[in-house]
Amino acid sequence: MTDAALVRLERRALAVGTAALIVAAVGAAFSPAAFFRAWLVSWLFCLSIPLGALAIVMLHYLSGGSWGIVIRRVAESTAVTLPLLALFFVPVVLGMHVIYEWAEPGAVAADPVLQYKHAYLNVPFFLARAVLYFVAWIGVAAVLVRWSAERDVVPDLDPRRFRLFAGPGLVVYGLTVTFASIDWAMSIEPRWSSTVYPMMFGVGQVLAGFAFTIAAAVLLRDREPFGRLVNPANLVDLGNLMLTFVLLWAYLAFTQLLLIYAGNIREEVTWYLAREQPGWLGVAFALIGVHFFLPFALLLQRAVKRNPVALATVAGLILVMRLVDDYWLVLPGIRGAERFHWLYVVTPLAVGGLWLAAYARRLRGLALVPANDPLVEQAMAAHGH
Amino acid sequence: MTGPRMWGLVAEFESPDALLAAAHRVREAGYRRIDACVPFPVEGLTEALGFRPTWLPLLVLTGALLGAAGGFFMQWYAMGVWYPLNVGGRPLNSWPMFIPITFELAVLVGGLTAALGMLALNRLPMPYHPLFNVPRFARATQDRFFLAIDARDARFERGATAELLHGLGAAEVSEVAR
Amino acid sequence: MTTATAPPSGPPPVIGAPHTYTSVTDKIAGIVLTQRTGRGWLFGFMLGLALLGLLALAVTMLLYLGIGIWGVNVPVAWGFAITNFVWWIGIGHAGTLISAILLLLRQEWRQSINRFAEAMTIFAVMCAGLFPILHLGRPQFFYWLTPYPNTMSLWPQFRSPLVWDVFAVSTYFTISLMFWYVGLIPDLATLRDRSQSRIGRVAYGVFALGWRGSARHWQRYEIAYLLLAGLATPLVVSVHTVVSFDFSVAQLPGWHSTIFPPYFVAGAIFSGFAMVIVLAIPLRAAYGLQDLITERHLQNMAKILLVTGLIVAYGYFMEGFMAWYSGNRFERYVQLNRIVGPYGPAYLGCLLCNVALPQLLWLQRVRRSAVALFVVAVFVNIGMWLERFVIVVESLHRDFLPSSWGMYYPTVWDWATLFGSFGIFLTFFFLFIRFIPMISIAEMRMLLEEERGEAAA
Repeated sequence: MTDAALVRLERRALAVGTAALIVAAVGAAFSPAAFFRAWLVSWLFCLSIPLGALAIVMLHYLSGGSWGIVIRRVAESTAVTLPLLALFFVPVVLGMHVIYEWAEPGAVAADPVLQYKHAYLNVPFFLARAVLYFVAWIGVAAVLVRWSAERDVVPDLDPRRFRLFAGPGLVVYGLTVTFASIDWAMSIEPRWSSTVYPMMFGVGQVLAGFAFTIAAAVLLRDREPFGRLVNPANLVDLGNLMLTFVLLWAYLAFTQLLLIYAGNIREEVTWYLAREQPGWLGVAFALIGVHFFLPFALLLQRAVKRNPVALATVAGLILVMRLVDDYWLVLPGIRGAERFHWLYVVTPLAVGGLWLAAYARRLRGLALVPANDPLVEQAMAAHGH
Repeated sequence: MTGPRMWGLVAEFESPDALLAAAHRVREAGYRRIDACVPFPVEGLTEALGFRPTWLPLLVLTGALLGAAGGFFMQWYAMGVWYPLNVGGRPLNSWPMFIPITFELAVLVGGLTAALGMLALNRLPMPYHPLFNVPRFARATQDRFFLAIDARDARFERGATAELLHGLGAAEVSEVAR
Repeated sequence: MTTATAPPSGPPPVIGAPHTYTSVTDKIAGIVLTQRTGRGWLFGFMLGLALLGLLALAVTMLLYLGIGIWGVNVPVAWGFAITNFVWWIGIGHAGTLISAILLLLRQEWRQSINRFAEAMTIFAVMCAGLFPILHLGRPQFFYWLTPYPNTMSLWPQFRSPLVWDVFAVSTYFTISLMFWYVGLIPDLATLRDRSQSRIGRVAYGVFALGWRGSARHWQRYEIAYLLLAGLATPLVVSVHTVVSFDFSVAQLPGWHSTIFPPYFVAGAIFSGFAMVIVLAIPLRAAYGLQDLITERHLQNMAKILLVTGLIVAYGYFMEGFMAWYSGNRFERYVQLNRIVGPYGPAYLGCLLCNVALPQLLWLQRVRRSAVALFVVAVFVNIGMWLERFVIVVESLHRDFLPSSWGMYYPTVWDWATLFGSFGIFLTFFFLFIRFIPMISIAEMRMLLEEERGEAAA
């Protein structure tokens, strides 16, 4: 994708995003509840891409391997969207009382469980935590991006500092995402809790990060010398990593289902009962089929992983299913959200379009091949194993 | 032509590269019944010798799918049909609870197919092979690289073939008794 | 070849000293074929036999007098036996993990440690398998757990995690054994061809199955090995997942927690790698293998120990937080009882060994010191045993109804069975290092070839 094409993409994304935003705003005037729900899901989905991508960058500093060089710059660049996403939190705050039962004083007064949880689930603390998460994420991202750019200029930057930062960075990521997922998604059903939920949420983010960066790298492969990095050997490694996270996601989702199904405890099964209502049950089966079995079967094949277009298609499919999964996780828990609403389609276009425009702008003229990293040479020379 | 007591010729090389080069040349010369014996898998050797890809992955996939299907069927049949048992009001076909054993049996059957299928396709165990008659061949499992040509190869001629092998830089060429 | 190998400026090479195909073969095969039996080996083997004798005594007493000689009783019916089972099977996870996952990730440093780690797996699973059977009360009927045609027309209860366990553990044992044996075949052929004695030639020859290193064989062999690795990887995860189901499928507070599967798996890898370190450090010193099991191996294992330890710590933390967040008073009580209850020291010890001490591994100095690493690994093994003890006993001894609370005190036979199980492990392990090459020779040759190719490139 040349710079001209990037500008076109940015313009189109901006146009679609703005148009959808206007339509969604009009819709919000008529059915604010549906708008806020759709906004929360769209926002969580867009947020999962930069967060997952940053986790991948840090993971790669620790693990090494040529695959990470391919997606380092496209992944780092997602960080530029974090301030925008922080701004997009505002509608969530405005819609809090519609989305979160515990934010409604009336509901809390009527329910001893909510009163018990008030120590954690209350509006000021919720907002303070959100500020903390964004400060942490933007801070970590800023360091990663700056150091990486510094290395392009300073040839013999000590590579150890990246590793020394990535370890604690991942710990920070793990803890913040844990509590962010509890705050923003799990607390929608404030009487329900599951100890594996935050981990499942984080794995979903990393999977979205892989899917997005792989697709982006493939789309940008006509740039030289970046194109030499997007070679079959590295794509196979990336495909395998994406497969691993598909499996991890399926593993966590299934074990949670099995344990709650087997335990059959009243407070727990409600979560699944809400998600096997007509309509949602179909979504659940779509998740099993298209979020797990189909990518699993495709990514097992070397031919698919070696072929850039095929791999990017699978990545795109996974990305779409991530959005579906976010819907499935969030919506059935909100009372009154069972019915389909046209805003559920328009709002993701608004948030996603504006997000993509910000991202595409960042890529313009960016050196996609990091300089002065010894792994680059190895990654360029990589050939089939 | 060759005598009935001869299995073929085997040439010894000192490095994987020499063997690879020799394998290419022997194949170019038109020999087809060739094999190499090496102390570790040398990259590019199967291509040099012109071997076809093996069926093993397909066999293992079949085994794993059969294991999974058989495992699920066994549980569904036993718990739902043969002796229907209501546990805590769950449906008789409580499929989430059948997944663990289904998975284990898929891995078990698939894994056994991989290990035993590999041995069967390789015709192992094979207690005797003519190549073991060559004293130096013991080093094929240690540090030397051997190229063997079967006497039944259409191009095989005792003298000419041995000469060809010598010309390829073989450290030693031995005749293999049957 | 695309490996995650070190670039010139990266970490040191996997093989230390300059080696050739001949010299690695000589060195590793020599330990088995020509080296004389050392005093250290004899001492270790005798210790193993002595503990095996202790186990034989404990098991005889158990079979003769019944399960009453153990401290288990209602409400704590699952005392040491299940603790030991989970502990041993956890240790048995590193072997296949090192072999399978690291093979798929092309981490070539695995090749020096995979053979004995796999052996460790097999022996640890044998130890593990013993406990549930002894625990049955009527061990002679253990086969009732398997589906077989019987005159009573009955099937095992396939909805029970205890039956899943039977399938998981026996599949794991079978596949690990296959994986180990398939990896061993080329080396057995090497030993057959090098052995000076007729007995050696015949014994190794029988098990080498007539392997002659044919390229056609290697082709299928490599694919089979890779497929076994591909199957074994999810298998490793599934086995400890199923073990975690033994607890988490129940409704008991402290057991019924959805994070159990991933956190058990991480804990298993944690304890397994700790055991590999505990075995590798003395072994490489005793047999002078510092050039094959290098500092880099120890460092990498230390890092895996740190990562899995952090996941385990996360598990403890989530259990605690969610117990509070859920508002469930029974969950809250279990968490509190773990700290201030009668078994408090066990839980605090577990936190010390599994959470606090491994944080030392953030320091490169600790990762680089064989002694420090060894000490941390020993503590991790103790800590992981304590963790399983806490999980098994805490939730049972005080559940919903205070009138059914009780205490569990291990008897001398509980301890005898625990220490006796080391007899199985040590005896087999010492036999293994005496008669089977403890490092894969064929893979070391392959590694040499790769490093040679990289040096030339």
